[in-house]
Amino acid sequence: MTRASHSFILGQPWGLRQWLQALALAAVTGAVLLWSARDLQLSLHELIKGLPWMGDFVSRMLPPNWQFLHRLVRPVVETIHLAIWGTLFAIVFALPLCFLAARNLSPNPLVFHLVRQVFNAARGINEIIFALIFVAAVGLGPFAGVLALSVHGAGMLGKFFAEAIEEVDPGPVEALRATGANPLQVIVFAVLPQALPAWIAATLYRIEVNLRAATILGMVGAGGIGFELYSSLRLFQYEDTATCVIVILVMVMTADYFSSRLRARILAR
Amino acid sequence: MIEVIGLSKQYGGLSALVDVSLRVNAGEMVVVLGPSGAGKSTLLRCINHLTLPSAGAVHIGGEAVPTDRAGLRRLRSQVGMIFQDHNLVARMSVLKNVLAGRLARMPKVLSLLQVFRDEDVRIALHCLKRVELDDRAWSRADRLSGGQQQRVGVARALAQEPRAILADEPVASLDPKTARIVLGDLKRASRELGIAVLCNLHQVAFAKEFADRVIGMHAGHVVFEGKPEALDAQLLTHIYPGLEESSSTDAPLPSRQRERAEGLGFAS
Repeated sequence: MTRASHSFILGQPWGLRQWLQALALAAVTGAVLLWSARDLQLSLHELIKGLPWMGDFVSRMLPPNWQFLHRLVRPVVETIHLAIWGTLFAIVFALPLCFLAARNLSPNPLVFHLVRQVFNAARGINEIIFALIFVAAVGLGPFAGVLALSVHGAGMLGKFFAEAIEEVDPGPVEALRATGANPLQVIVFAVLPQALPAWIAATLYRIEVNLRAATILGMVGAGGIGFELYSSLRLFQYEDTATCVIVILVMVMTADYFSSRLRARILAR
Repeated sequence: MIEVIGLSKQYGGLSALVDVSLRVNAGEMVVVLGPSGAGKSTLLRCINHLTLPSAGAVHIGGEAVPTDRAGLRRLRSQVGMIFQDHNLVARMSVLKNVLAGRLARMPKVLSLLQVFRDEDVRIALHCLKRVELDDRAWSRADRLSGGQQQRVGVARALAQEPRAILADEPVASLDPKTARIVLGDLKRASRELGIAVLCNLHQVAFAKEFADRVIGMHAGHVVFEGKPEALDAQLLTHIYPGLEESSSTDAPLPSRQRERAEGLGFAS
């Protein structure tokens, strides 16, 4: 039997310098990973030791308490309402600002960067943090949740809307400018028709994200099904917790399914 | 009537147009011939100030192109423009694309709300009839063939009821048969409506067939002006140096790279 000869090929052949660089990069990456793992007290030993407790927890959740379902109807509806109004207000905040945050429409670079940073700040802070702030401001209840979703969502939608404007074909825009149309007319007749499908897709995606976020807002008292989940956990009613988790999963998966199908259809137009 | 006097344009140190003067009378169709990079597009874009000229003057119908925004918009409303890739809004109906040509004359707030005067709709439909596409008024623009889309582009320019039309390589992406239809539309509109048409072309044969007068450009200079019949082999090598090396004088030149304007230009 003869031994065939093989070559290891990734890209261009490496010289000594490239190999040393790769080695150094690998060493640094390894060191950072090790350090962070230690910092986080990652431990296979602890995980194995904890397995029986997890099994115990799961067994206490079973069977899910279906009697609890009827008490979840109202929170589920509230969660959906939270997602809808959270998205609506987010659009209201994002719409007028998104034109200023699009590089090709913004009147000057300063305004562009300023509005982009406002969007980034709104997007960078988690919904739960906003919820805590708004609970303090307007009191416990779903309204604080709506406000939290609105501000965070406005940051995301504003960025998406602005990026959709930046991707518009400049040809028709120039054509309309050449007819003597004023800037607002150019936006309405050349920019909007091109950006609208991407805007609708982003909005649908935002409803989906909001629904997911709305399931945990209840933990800080900002409405939705999260409150039931959290209290069942604290009262050690794990069968009720299981019911909550299943209901949340069904809700989120249903929303994902319809939202992604609808988005695919709209973007294909 | 279009009158261009001593027009120059420099990009950095590069001269795209050098002291160009020309005149297109009402009802006349003038074709600009020249190789890619000769400055044909820059010339057209400088006329309605989509590109600001470095020096020189442009008069449309005897009026100098204003520099203030409102004045410039009013003047642009009297100058139709036709583009190589038609620049229609793909997702809008054919009728709305043509109506867009009348935006400058419409009540602004109503137009933003998509409410149009019957008079404007009537004119738009009439312009569509001119290019034989009135039966496609409610189709989405991108459902039409390339040639039909360019004819809608012509209708949009005509809907402006313009004094002048600037056509920048209007048939460069069309087959010869469709190209002749589109150029025929332009020629007829120019004759019947008394519009001054300035049209950039690649194809010498089309210039001979459709032009009332031909202007040859090379490297930013006007190197020829005269009747299309005067275009002989010697003149053509003057406009297209190196052409004698190619097999046919009527071979279309390589398509110009599309010049994309920086941004959408509202800032400027």
